[in-house]
Formats: sequence, structure tokens, C-alpha cells
Amino acid sequence: MSKIIEVHHLCKSFGAVAAVKDVSFYVEEGSLFSFLGTNGAGKSTTISILLTLLKQDAGVVKVNGLTVGKEDEAIRNEIGVVFQQSILDPLLTVKENLDYRARLYKMTKEEKLAAIDRVADTVDISSIMKRRYGKLSGGQKRRVDIARALLHQPKILLLDEPTTGLDPQNRKQIWNTILQLQSETNMTVFLTTHYIEEAANSNFVVVMKEGEIIAKGTPHHLKSQYSADRLMIIAKSPAQLRSQLQTDKLVFTEEHSTFLIQLKKTTDAIVLLAKYEELINSFEVQKSSLDDVFIQIHNGKDDMHHDDCCEA
Amino acid sequence: MMTVAKRNILLYFRDKSALFFSLLAVIILVALYGTFLGNLISDSLPDFPAKKWLLLSWIFAGILAVTSVTTTLGAFGTLVEDRSTEAVLDFYASPIKRSSLFGGYVMSSIFVGLIMCLLVLLTANAVFFFSGDEMLTILQLLKVIGVISLSVISSSSMILLLVSFFKTVKAFAAASTVIGTLLGFLAGIYIPIGNLPAYLQTIIKFFPTSHSAALFRQILMEQPMKETFAQAPVSAKQEFLQDMGVFYEINGSLTSPMFSVLYLTGVAVLFSILAVVLLKRKRS
Repeated sequence: MSKIIEVHHLCKSFGAVAAVKDVSFYVEEGSLFSFLGTNGAGKSTTISILLTLLKQDAGVVKVNGLTVGKEDEAIRNEIGVVFQQSILDPLLTVKENLDYRARLYKMTKEEKLAAIDRVADTVDISSIMKRRYGKLSGGQKRRVDIARALLHQPKILLLDEPTTGLDPQNRKQIWNTILQLQSETNMTVFLTTHYIEEAANSNFVVVMKEGEIIAKGTPHHLKSQYSADRLMIIAKSPAQLRSQLQTDKLVFTEEHSTFLIQLKKTTDAIVLLAKYEELINSFEVQKSSLDDVFIQIHNGKDDMHHDDCCEA
Repeated sequence: MMTVAKRNILLYFRDKSALFFSLLAVIILVALYGTFLGNLISDSLPDFPAKKWLLLSWIFAGILAVTSVTTTLGAFGTLVEDRSTEAVLDFYASPIKRSSLFGGYVMSSIFVGLIMCLLVLLTANAVFFFSGDEMLTILQLLKVIGVISLSVISSSSMILLLVSFFKTVKAFAAASTVIGTLLGFLAGIYIPIGNLPAYLQTIIKFFPTSHSAALFRQILMEQPMKETFAQAPVSAKQEFLQDMGVFYEINGSLTSPMFSVLYLTGVAVLFSILAVVLLKRKRS
């Protein structure tokens, strides 16, 4: 697969504050790429540079072979953006909103109408085309935002926290749409999100903190590197189990009669369950999550080098 | 540019509250004239032929001048709102040049100003008709449309510079209310300039909107003035014209229509340059 986004030694400061410090990464065409980090990590600055909204102080950014700062107008044709906030016009209908935005891409009238029909069909908004955008529910607005981003058939869909503020059902619907789009059109999806588990479907994850990349890899790689599965046991005899775990030198936490034991690998649970069978009331194997990874990384584990990242 | 302009115009006319507030100064003006200001001005003048027609023409000239500013100001509210809601980012991330984008905002503001002023002009003609006075001739209408265009373009350039300082809709709305209220005084519309103290007269003479008002008065009051001053001495006519702000005295001589036209053109060019420089500096 070819690299559709390349970021080399990107730096950006605002006065004395260095927002992005020598950041390098790339995104492969057709992949789902997640860009994570807490507020102030430098995500928004990096995205703004990618979108040609900000000029970098140093470094080279290429989008589908086009250089940011030199071929900005062409780059804007390659990217569709779903912004964090709903930014379409509340007083206009869905159709009017899509119509005016489509005109920005120099389409003929026929192309524009075809594009509106296509995106309405893709994100299933045909039934709400005549309704005012401001009167729609949060989930409907998001679907219209995605439709707007797809009008010009971009190669890259950039989603800036697309499901923030949505209920679980709407989040699921939005994600189904995104994943379907990606699989059907081989579109590259560049995602930032606060819901870390949403990045679990990604092909590659980059985590930023204080302007630097502090972790990167596939979700599987990050989970194995930064977190572990756990075995939860509710003990018949807490004192006996505690003593046994200490003897076996296992890492665990205890609360009342509930023990959480860290596993080196998931299958270790089978061995432990057989060994402590007599002491167990009930149990559960808890899979590690990207949330655990994120928390672990942000708690200070930092063993990454800042060279160009690549997919595992 | 046209896409952005069309979208902004549609938004302006869909937003009933914004539409109302952009006409608030005009509504206040009409209400003031209707309740007491009209009678006050009328009573302060001696009786002369076609007095009612002359004053009505003077009032509509003032309303046209105010409308040319407040409606363009209201239309620029879309730009402030787009900035505060970050909707403008959607345009920045689209393949449209910044100059075209801001050109769209300016164009929509000019178009809104033109439409609203033309509506006032139509209303004025209708009022003249129903009052039994002469309606404006085709030539006068064309002249007024010319002045409306100049006045709106000049206002738009000043407001473009002004809105670059506003980041929130609240601040802009507050400023719009203050501007709308002050406008009536600063353009010599609430009270004739001749009734004001000398220092205020000086300020008014340099305020661009007062030159729009003067040009509107020169055209709208042309016919009634002929009737009013047919038998009057020249000095009385001149004194009246100065007092009512039809012409201004600057450095001992009366301003000509061409002076006001050039003044408004100069203002439009100067403020456009300043706005472009400021926007470029903000962009960089």
C-alpha cells in the first residue's frame, strides 16, 4: 500500500509554546488511522496543518503526493472533513446545505445533483433532505456532516471526534457507516477521538502527548506492549487466595473478596483457574482495552523513539 | 464567490431576528418621527409652500442613509457568526481562495444593502403617491440608485474593517445596536445639523454616512425645494439647505455633490485597503 499522508519532522509553535515538536508519521492508503491524545497534545495543530489551515514552522507534510504550503487548493480536493462541532447552517435545509457546499468544488449542475443523491444514499439521509439542519437530532446532524465531507469523493476522510456527544446507538450507527464506507470505497480514514475504544478497529494508532508522539503501532501491538489481560476472581477464602498469589509472585489487586490478577498472556488464566479451583467462588477473564493502553501511556511510560513510524 | 454570497443572502433573509435588528435603527427612526420628532422639526420651521413634502423627503433621505449602513452591518453578522461557530473552517478547508471567500461576504453585504435600500426607496415613492405629492422621476430614481450603490459600497468597506475586530456574536450585536443608535445623530438624521453645537457639526461633516444623507437629500428634496423656494430669497434657501444638511460648509464653501461622491469613494477605497491589509496580516 502507498503512503497517502506523510509527515516529516513537523514543528509548530505559538509564541513560546511548542505545540508540535518534530513529529513524523505516515498513513497508508485505504487504512483506518487513529490519532489520539489528550487536549493540548498537539493533535488539532497537526490536523490544522494537514488541512492547510495553518502553516508549519518546519517540516514537510504531503497529502497524496501534494505538498502542504505549495499545493493547498489541490490538497483540499483530496480531503473531506467532519469537524468536531456541527458547522453546517442551521437555518438552511439539509439539501440547501449540501447544495451550497457542493458548489465550492466547481461541479457542474448535473455533477452536483448526482453527488448530493449519492451521499444522501450513502449515509441514509434521503428522508430528511427537506428538513432544516438546525432542527435535526445530534445523530442526524452527524450523518449530514459526513455526507457533506463526502460530496467531492475525497481520498481521505478526516473525522475529528465524530461521535462526541452522541448516544451509544447513534455512535454505533455512525461507526457502521464509516466502516462500510472504508471497506466499500477503500477510502483512507483519519480519526481523532476521545473514545479510545473507537480506535480499536484501526489499522494503526499514533498517540501524542505534549506535542510529541509517545506511542504508535497497531491496536494489538499497543495492547500487548502497554497492557495485559486480567483474571478477576471472587474468592471463597480471600486470606488463602492472597497467600497463594503472594507465594506464586503474581501481580494482583484486592478489594474485599475480589482479586484482579494480571496475566502475561490470556491462556495463563486456564492454568491459574485449575490451580486455585478450590478457592474460587466465581471468575471472569477481562480483556485489556485500548483505554488501558491510553491510561498506561499517559501515566508516563515512554519508550518510543521519534523516528518515522510504520505499520507493524 | 457567488456561492458564498448567495448562501449568506439566504441566511440573512431566513434569520428573522437578524433582519429585525438590522432594521431596528430605521424602525426607531420612523417611530421617533411619527411620535414627536417630525412635529418638533416641523414646528421649528416657518410655514412655507410644500413644507410637508419637503420634510417627508428629508426624512426618507435620512432613512435611506441609515438603511445603507445598518443592513450591510446586519449582513456581515453572518461572517461574525461563521467565525464564532467555526463554520468558516469548512470554507477554509474547501478549495476556495480566501479572497473569494471574503469577496463573497462583501458581495452579500452589498447586495443585502441594495435590496433593503431599494425597498425603502419604493416605500418612499408610495408614501409620496398616497400623500398626493409628486413621485420621483425616472432620472431621480436612477440618481438615487447610484447614490444607494455608492453608499452601500462605502458602508460595506467600513464594516468589513470593523467586523475583523469581533470574534463573538454577542459583542457584534452589542456594537451593532450602539452603531445603529449613534448613526442617527452622527449623520444629522435625528436632528437637523443646524440645530446642533459647532463641534458636533464638524464631526458630522466628516462622517461618511452624512455625505450619503446629503446626496439623498439633494435628489429627494429637489422637486419640493423648487416649490418651496420659488419666491424666497437665495440667502434664505442657502441657510435652510445648510441647516438641514443638504449641503455642508467646509472651509467657508459649500460642498458640491461631486465632493460627497468623491469623499464616499475615497472612504470605500481607503477602508477596503485597510481591511485587506488587516485580513492578510491575521492570515499570516
